[in-house]
Amino acid sequence: MRVSKSAYPLTWRIMDALEAFAAFVWPARFGRAIPWMMLAPALLLVGLLVLGLWQIGDVSLRTLDTSTFLMSEAYTLANYQRAFTESLFAVVAWRSLAGSLIVTVVTLTLAFPYAYVMVRTSSPTIRKLLLIALFLPFFIGQVVRAYGWLIILGNQGMVNEALGLVGIAPIRLLYNYWAVLFGLVQYMLPFAVLMLAPALTAIPEELEAAAGSLGADWARTFRHIVLPLARPGLVGAGLVVMTLSLTDFAMPAILGGGSQDFIANAIYDQFFRTSDQGLGSTLALLLVAAGSMLVGLVFTLFGAGTLAMGRARR
Amino acid sequence: MTAPLSKTIVLWIFVVAVLVLLSAPTIVILGASFTSGNIITFPPEGFSLKWYEKIATSRDLWDAFLRSLYVSAICTIVAIPVGTLAGIVLAKYAIRFEKSVQIYLLLPFTIPLIGSGIGLMLIFGEARLLGQLWPVGLACCVINLPFMIWAVTASASSLDPDLELAAASCGAPPLSTFLHVTLPAVMPGVISGSLLMFILALNEFLVSLLLTDARIVTLPVQIYNSIRSIITPDLAAISVVFIACAALAIVLLDRLVGLEIFLKSK
Repeated sequence: MRVSKSAYPLTWRIMDALEAFAAFVWPARFGRAIPWMMLAPALLLVGLLVLGLWQIGDVSLRTLDTSTFLMSEAYTLANYQRAFTESLFAVVAWRSLAGSLIVTVVTLTLAFPYAYVMVRTSSPTIRKLLLIALFLPFFIGQVVRAYGWLIILGNQGMVNEALGLVGIAPIRLLYNYWAVLFGLVQYMLPFAVLMLAPALTAIPEELEAAAGSLGADWARTFRHIVLPLARPGLVGAGLVVMTLSLTDFAMPAILGGGSQDFIANAIYDQFFRTSDQGLGSTLALLLVAAGSMLVGLVFTLFGAGTLAMGRARR
Repeated sequence: MTAPLSKTIVLWIFVVAVLVLLSAPTIVILGASFTSGNIITFPPEGFSLKWYEKIATSRDLWDAFLRSLYVSAICTIVAIPVGTLAGIVLAKYAIRFEKSVQIYLLLPFTIPLIGSGIGLMLIFGEARLLGQLWPVGLACCVINLPFMIWAVTASASSLDPDLELAAASCGAPPLSTFLHVTLPAVMPGVISGSLLMFILALNEFLVSLLLTDARIVTLPVQIYNSIRSIITPDLAAISVVFIACAALAIVLLDRLVGLEIFLKSK
């Protein structure tokens, strides 16, 4: 039988060549190394961050010479001493920490019922609507959303115009602590709901029905069945909201108007206003350390929750 | 089983409150962009498209927007192969130090953005790369990489490993198996992941602020700088560009993989 050319199409030849090339680059005896070779690009990319941290650490050990505006050659711990003793940084740190705690509690309280309804509703239309309402702000970005709040809450903004109609003098709603926290809650809601939803999906609806049939009203079912079983989601969401709001820059900058700086704003100012890279790096490194300790603490206490990205536990 | 009325009411009070909170800025910006007045009021005084005309002729804004698109494209192009390969490994292979690798790859999320941004600024500065746009794209890719890996692992975990063995036992060489069995199976994850990467890079603010200078600002930074000086409705009109991009991304995401994918439990 004569083999026609078309019986072995070009695409097959290309695939053969590619296979041969692959076999040449990754011989089968390297089999065990293949996962690592596939991981290598990601490990290298994230390595940039590690390199960056190393650089921050290096700069944090040098002080700024105010006469020449050069960083000192010798290493010193002076910046750390300043970071821990100057009261300005303590004030900023407490403001950020307290703020992120409040934001976490409020965000989780608001996000939990939303995620619950979104997961449990029997109407696909409502579910889709809730999902779209969630993704739209998530995809719009912080600056634009903060700008929306400026229009609503500004001195000549909507709320004050409305108050003016009923004869109430304008209230200063912006550029205070609560405006920043308000903006942060709105910014964090999509994150929180998206972390909670998979955990709620995993709770069998029959469990709630069972609790109901044993006489528990819905509030008790919620308290004793849903909340405990949703713990991985609550841990994941709480951690994400807490760390993101603790370290946020845009909301304090835009809605706080410079008077409500969080840690990130203080770091930015050290780099771009005072040009003291050393002190700025010190603050950045301390923030990274605080954030990592928080994550580590929560992971050891509660496990990785919905943040784990590895294989399903078998 | 029907839920008791009190439960429905309490839950929906929360849901409506959250809906208002989530949508208010978007709706207000849409309204403000069509105003015919100079100062932003709501409801808008009269309908006009003059602010859109103004941004359409503004070179600064268009250039900033194009730069943002470029940054997002770089970010996505890098993230697709890197995140897909890493995601497949994490989902399917038992490797040594698995736990440590996972924690390491979560670093972009556990290191605060300001820390990552400053670190990258320092090393890019050292390498004399500041003042260019592609390092910004690379930086956006690094800080959001876990999103891509998550998306891929989620769909790779649902792939039955026997399918790959079956392909191999039918005589498919390793690369064919990868291209015809593994890759199609993780495609939904790749699509949703790359859409996420693109839109998050388009909106990325803090890292762009740190890595760009006045000549190469991206659109979010441009808006931020303008907010600081004066609030005019042309900012609302340019913000609508972001809203349109977000809406487009949601439609694409819904058509290609379905938004419900984010509700799936792992």
